[in-house]
Amino acid sequence: MRRRKSLRQRLFSVIHAFVLALACLVVIVPLGYLIINSIKLPREFLTIPPTILPTEVTFEHYQELIDDKKTVRYFQNSLTVAVWTTGVTILTGTLAAYGLARARLSAKILALVTFTFLFIRFYPRVTTVIPFFLVMRQFDLLDTVWAIVIGQLGITIPFVTWLMLVVFQDLPSEIEEAAVVDGASVWQRFSRVVLPIVMPSVSAAAILTAFLSWNEFLIASSVARRKASVLSIAVASFVSDKGIQWGPMAAMSVVMIVPMIVFALFAQKYLIRGITFGAVKG
Amino acid sequence: MPWLIAFVLPAFVIVVAVQFYPLAYSALLSVQEWSLTKSQAPEGFVGLENFVKELGDETFRRSVRNSVWITGGAVVLEMLLGVCLAYLTMGSSWRMRAVRTLLILPMVIAPVAAGTLWRILLNYRAGLVNHLLGLIGVQGPEWLASPDWAIVSVILLDTWQWTPFVLLVAGAAIASIPGDLLEVAAIDGASRWKTFAYIELPLLTPLLLLTLVFRMLESLLSLDSIYSLTFGGPGFSTYTMTFYIYTQGLRNFNFGAAAASSWIFMAFASVSIALVFWFQRKDW
Repeated sequence: MRRRKSLRQRLFSVIHAFVLALACLVVIVPLGYLIINSIKLPREFLTIPPTILPTEVTFEHYQELIDDKKTVRYFQNSLTVAVWTTGVTILTGTLAAYGLARARLSAKILALVTFTFLFIRFYPRVTTVIPFFLVMRQFDLLDTVWAIVIGQLGITIPFVTWLMLVVFQDLPSEIEEAAVVDGASVWQRFSRVVLPIVMPSVSAAAILTAFLSWNEFLIASSVARRKASVLSIAVASFVSDKGIQWGPMAAMSVVMIVPMIVFALFAQKYLIRGITFGAVKG
Repeated sequence: MPWLIAFVLPAFVIVVAVQFYPLAYSALLSVQEWSLTKSQAPEGFVGLENFVKELGDETFRRSVRNSVWITGGAVVLEMLLGVCLAYLTMGSSWRMRAVRTLLILPMVIAPVAAGTLWRILLNYRAGLVNHLLGLIGVQGPEWLASPDWAIVSVILLDTWQWTPFVLLVAGAAIASIPGDLLEVAAIDGASRWKTFAYIELPLLTPLLLLTLVFRMLESLLSLDSIYSLTFGGPGFSTYTMTFYIYTQGLRNFNFGAAAASSWIFMAFASVSIALVFWFQRKDW
């Protein structure tokens, strides 16, 4: 028998639905408005009241971006940086985590290692940006994608190592014992036995690294302002330019945001695990 | 054992080269006189002069105050909204899962792009926000042109982008509270509010504190969104610590001064990091 809900409960569920609807709107409306702005005619930008539904859809801002050789290069640079950073990070980070997990470190040293990872994640990175700039100048790497990749590796490698360290520590050592008895080397144990098991975590780490690298701004903007510029710098640069070009700025932001949203929808579980990782596990 | 060392070595070398070497270099810079506009090489050891100068600098002090306001305001709002939303989106029905997926989207957007997005929305005359406020009869403020409202704008942006983080962590924590604990409380006749205040909140507190320190640090360190939302303006009214150090070092090329102020900032951040470390290892 269904009991009728009391007035209070009904009131509560109405408020509940209302608040959630409001929260969803606060997320959707800005994003939707950005997309609308990217397909709006230039003369409709600073109208009062703002043009919410454009009279005409135009792709001229995107066309402008595609025609501009610079933008295409920024996109390529962003992609190059993300691919290299992710590749090198996963390779070295996973190996290092396995090494640390199997080295039977004492509790004290392990605590020190953990603290180092935490420190690298949270110290004011702006402190090292200037020396890093100077070092890159010395090696003649300023304004190259390699400077960006190297800089980002300093952040992503400790992060992935930390992530994977927890994964390897949770792995029961019995799994490897059979391989030890068969006389397999450490490398064989790692590549044939352990790696296949932890592959889902490795992909999670890879997704997160690519995501961090694509969105990164501080390092990129400090070592590569012109030739090797990436999308994040391009998006930010619209601001200091004289007279903001609203259309291209919106279009460029969409180009930068959309891949990550699609990424997030497909790899949500992994991405969330990575982003919240530090808070939940240490 | 040699194998294990070989495994760790590449990562170790990169981290030392890219993190610890520049850190040491930066410490060295902080006690030297060097401004790239005047000289191509450091102009000698000046002791703590850079530190004294920075601590007395009006813009530096202003950025500290701004940082406190922005981070304080944003983190409080994020914690409150995040925990409320975590409670409201509990459950595993497809509707709640869809809502959660939607609500975390701001977090995956590049902060620079989020900054430009809100710059469009907060435009005084033609922005959507003031238009919507106008519809309910409120005259919207000059968000980005007035010093005080510019601070509010930065807080709003941070809250919009990072409340999802609190929502996720708090949601996971709430879901891990044993259900029978709450049932017992209900059988004993505890009201929903009392159950929350006396059972759930104490259980959630450690993780919430950790989340708070996390958000505090990340908000203090963020540069991208301020860069594209206000560029520190109008004037110096949204200069934060990070933004100040960045402009000192990479726009004005005052390497010595920038390094000194970044170490002042570092001292504060280190205490917070130690706090995180302590929270994580403590048995509550």
